[in-house]
Amino acid sequence: MGLFKKIGSIFHDDWCRKCQTKMEEKKRQLYMLPMTVGHYSSHSDANYYKKNLIKVNKKADIPVGKYACGIIKYKCPKCGYKITKLSIFLPVREQEKYEDSIYFENGELDDFIRESERA
Amino acid sequence: MENKKIKKINFVYLLGYIFGPVILCAICFTLGMFICPDGGTMAVVLFMCPPLLSMVWWICAGRFLFKRKKKALEKELDEQGFSRNQTFYGDGCMVVIDTNKGNMALLFFWNPFEKQIFPVSRIEKAWVDDGRSGAGFLEGSSRVSFLFKVDGITVRVNTFTSNQRWRMDTDYILTGISKADMMVKVIEDAKKKVK
Ligand SMILES: [Zn+2]
Repeated sequence: MGLFKKIGSIFHDDWCRKCQTKMEEKKRQLYMLPMTVGHYSSHSDANYYKKNLIKVNKKADIPVGKYACGIIKYKCPKCGYKITKLSIFLPVREQEKYEDSIYFENGELDDFIRESERA
Repeated sequence: MENKKIKKINFVYLLGYIFGPVILCAICFTLGMFICPDGGTMAVVLFMCPPLLSMVWWICAGRFLFKRKKKALEKELDEQGFSRNQTFYGDGCMVVIDTNKGNMALLFFWNPFEKQIFPVSRIEKAWVDDGRSGAGFLEGSSRVSFLFKVDGITVRVNTFTSNQRWRMDTDYILTGISKADMMVKVIEDAKKKVK
């Protein structure tokens, strides 16, 4: 695999980190992260998200001044590599202010996502 | 609960804050001229210290006092059973809202000795000013604030200020708008609750 493609995978969230193939999106769900604007702090512990994320159906369900967290599960069609991406942003009227991206490579949130799907 | 109108500025404090050091300097300079007209250490002290102290006073004293008064207000509110559900610390004004009982507490930078607590029902309206101006690629803002009108007096609380203009989609402006939107929502919700 060329260096160019390796660098590309840093900028493309949906490129496999192992073989640089474009990954398939397996699941996508929006949650509210109950932190208030101006008081965001980054967490890399999966348990924090299990405890605090609240499932919402659309962005408009998130109260003004609270953060949104979109979870996307990716899977590589070629080598089977899986990754879960959390995109944290602040919805502001029609716009979104990017805050943070958190990745989980070992399926730490799989149970949580499955449970919240049923709820 | 107080029924008097809210007061944003205590003019005695404002004038004293500005002119106090000026008067002190004038007194010291006069003393210096009479006591030690020929110079010496005393003269240096009398001529150098007051202006320096004045600078320190103008730059730090107000902020220091406001900070202490904010802490004192929070303590007092807790003792009164005022639930501090939402607090916004603006440069010129601190806003605390008890959403359950529908009360608001205000403390102004230029009126730091008065803790003003009143029911949110006295607020006629609350709105956001995103400071947007200019057209096309020049469009931007250097100030975002939320405002509310109480007893006919408009109170502006800045959620973002800068000495330069920023595009409306920059993080600074978006964060400022979000904070302002949230405060207006909290005020409106508290008003609805007590109605
Ligand atoms: Zn792969």
